[in-house]
Amino acid sequence: MADKPQESSAPRSPRATRAAPPRGPSPEWEGRDIETAGVREDRDVEPRGGRATAAGASPGIVEQFASAVLGGALLSIGLGRRSLGGAALALAGGGLLFRSFGGQGHGPILEEPRFDTDRGPYEPEVVAGPRVLERSITIQKPASELYRAWRLAENLTKVMGHFADVTTAGPDVQHWRVQGPLGRSLEWDSHIVEEHPGEFLRWESLKGADVPNDGWVRFRPAPGDWGTVVTLRFRFDPPGGVIGDAVVKLLGAVPDTLASKALRRFKSLVETGEIPTTVPNPAARGGGHSY
Amino acid sequence: MRALCWNGINDLRVETVADPGIVNPHDVILRVTMSTTCGSDLHFIDGYIPTMREGDVIGHEFMGEVVDVGRDVKKVKKGDRVVVPSFICCGNCWYCQHDLYSLCDNTNPKAELQEPLLGYPTAGIYGYTHAFGGYAGAHAQYVRVPHADTDCFLVPEGLKDEQVIFLSDAVPTGYMGADFCNIHPGDTVAVWGCGGVGLMAMKSAFLLGAGRVIGIDRFPERLRMAREKVGAETIDYSRVDSVLDMLKELTGGRGPDACIDAVGMEAHGTGAEYAYDRAKQALHLHSDRGEALRQAIRACRKGGTLSILGVYGVMDKFPIGVIMNKGLTVRTAQQHGQKYLPLLLEHVAKGQLDPSFLATHRFSLEDAPRGYEMFKKKQDGCVRAVFLPN
Repeated sequence: MADKPQESSAPRSPRATRAAPPRGPSPEWEGRDIETAGVREDRDVEPRGGRATAAGASPGIVEQFASAVLGGALLSIGLGRRSLGGAALALAGGGLLFRSFGGQGHGPILEEPRFDTDRGPYEPEVVAGPRVLERSITIQKPASELYRAWRLAENLTKVMGHFADVTTAGPDVQHWRVQGPLGRSLEWDSHIVEEHPGEFLRWESLKGADVPNDGWVRFRPAPGDWGTVVTLRFRFDPPGGVIGDAVVKLLGAVPDTLASKALRRFKSLVETGEIPTTVPNPAARGGGHSY
Repeated sequence: MRALCWNGINDLRVETVADPGIVNPHDVILRVTMSTTCGSDLHFIDGYIPTMREGDVIGHEFMGEVVDVGRDVKKVKKGDRVVVPSFICCGNCWYCQHDLYSLCDNTNPKAELQEPLLGYPTAGIYGYTHAFGGYAGAHAQYVRVPHADTDCFLVPEGLKDEQVIFLSDAVPTGYMGADFCNIHPGDTVAVWGCGGVGLMAMKSAFLLGAGRVIGIDRFPERLRMAREKVGAETIDYSRVDSVLDMLKELTGGRGPDACIDAVGMEAHGTGAEYAYDRAKQALHLHSDRGEALRQAIRACRKGGTLSILGVYGVMDKFPIGVIMNKGLTVRTAQQHGQKYLPLLLEHVAKGQLDPSFLATHRFSLEDAPRGYEMFKKKQDGCVRAVFLPN
C-alpha cells in the first residue's frame, strides 16, 4: 500500500462539479479500474488521522478496541450495581462504547467537505459544505443482475428503509422522505440523470428539495470468484440557516453509516432474498418485544 | 413464553417474554426441546464481553421441533426434529459458499457494532450480544431460526436428544479444532480444557487419526471423563510442577504435534502470570486471562499447529515471538458448524460418536439460573447442564 501513488496531484473539486454539472458520462463511470477506487480511499482517509502506520493499522483501532472492552465492562458493572455510583460507571462505560463503536471520528466514512481538508484538523462542528458518503461492497452476483435489482423500485424502498421512505413518484422519479430534526420531515424527489445499464446509475434531487443531493451507484467486476464490487455515493448539500444547521447535525449523526448500511442491506437482499433483522425479537423489556 | 434472560452481571432470570414469530421468508419457529449451557456464555454473564442488553434472551446451543415455516423455506417442514448450529448462516455469500460459515456476510443486522472492532462483521449468533446480531437466544420455549434450509439439520430417527444436542456447538467446534490440526496418523495432540468442547476435540482427534491425545485440566471428574469416555491420557495441572515438562517427557522431548486451546478468556492457572492476569481482569484493565493459551504456545513442538477454540477478547502479553521463532501454524475460528454437521450426524447415527455423557445435569427452564450456577462453579461434577424448556 505504501508505494501507491498519492492522488493529491489531481483532486476532484466538488465546487467545480457543482458549478458545472458534467455533460455526458460522469468521470466516475469512465474510471474503469477498480483499484483506482482503492487509491482514492487512501487519500480520503488521510485527513482524519494521517497515513496508516507501516503495518497498515491505524493506532486508533487499538484504542477503539480498548475502549470497547473497557466500556463494555464498565457498562456491565454499572448496570449490575443499580446505584448512583453504578449508574455513573454505566454511563462511563456507555460513553466508551459509544466512542469505540463509532460515536465519533472512526473509519473511512468519507463525509468530509473535501475542499476544507487543507484548512487543518477535522472538526465536525464546522462542516459547512456538502456531505459526501461513499462506500463499496462486494456481492456474489453478476453486475447485470445487480443493476436490474437496483432499478426495481420495491428493492430500493427496502434497501433504504433504515434511512428514508422511498416511493415511486413517476417514471424514473423517486420520492424520498426522511424523518428530520425538530420534528420535521425532509422530503425530495430525485430523478435518474445518467444510466449505463449493468454498470452505472446517477440521480439528482429535483428543484425544491429540502436537502439538495445527488448520488450514484457503480457496478464493477471483482477479482476471482468474488462477484461484483458495488460502490455507492451520496452527496448532501444542506441549506443554510437554523434548519440547515440542524440538518448538518442530523447528517452527522445518521448517515455516517448510511452508505455502508444501504449497501449491506442491498447485498443481503440480492444474495439471500431478505434483509437480516431482529425486529421484532423476544426480550424481557419493551413489553416482551425488543430488537 | 418463558425464557432465560440476562439482566446484568451474574443476574439471570426466567421471565415471560413475547413469543417469536416468522419475520423473514426463510425463517422457521422451533419449539425448543433441549438447550444447553456453553462456557462462552460465562464470559458475558461475568461481564467480560460487551454489548449485552438487560432483558436479552440467552442460549445458543439447542434443538427442537419445527412448528411454523416461512413462505420461502423449501426443505424444512413443520414437525421436523432438527438440530441448529449456533451461528446463523445464509448459505449464499462467498464465505458460506467456501465453508467458512461463521464468517457469513448476511446474518448480522447490527454489523455496524462489530465492524469497528473486527474490521468486518461476522455471522450472527443466537443469544450472544448485540455485536453478534442481538438475536433472541434459545433458552426459551420457542426460538426463531432464520435461513432454515441452511441452518436446520434433520435428526436421524432413533437418536435421543442428549445424543444430538451438542452437535449444535460443542461437537462441531471440537471437531473443527481437531480438523485444524492437520493430523497425521500417530500424531500426538494436547488439549487444554476438558469441558464439552475440549472433550469433543479429543474424541475428534482420535477420529481423525491421532495416536495419542493428552487432556489438561484440574477437575478430577472432567479428567476422568477424558480418560474413560474418550481414551485420552490426562494431566492435572494443579498437581504437577510443570505441564510443559510433563508434555515434553510424554512425547520423547519433542512436544505435542498439535495443541488445542479449548479454554478461552477466563483461564485458571498457577503461578505469577496467572496472578497478574487475574488481578488485571478483575479490575477490567484487560479482558483476557490467557494462561492456557500461553502454555499451549510454549508446549507445542517446533513447526507444530496451535488450534484456538477458546473465546478471547483483545489479549495483552500475547507471545507472538514464541509462535514466530518456533514456526507454529495458528488456526482458529468460531465454529463452521454447517460444514461438519452432515458428517457428525452420520458418526452419531453409526455409533462412532456419542456425546451424551456431557449432559451431566438436567433442569427445567424455570431452574435454568441454578443450572448456570452449577455449571459455572462446576458443582457436583457438572460438565454441561441441559434444559428442557417445554
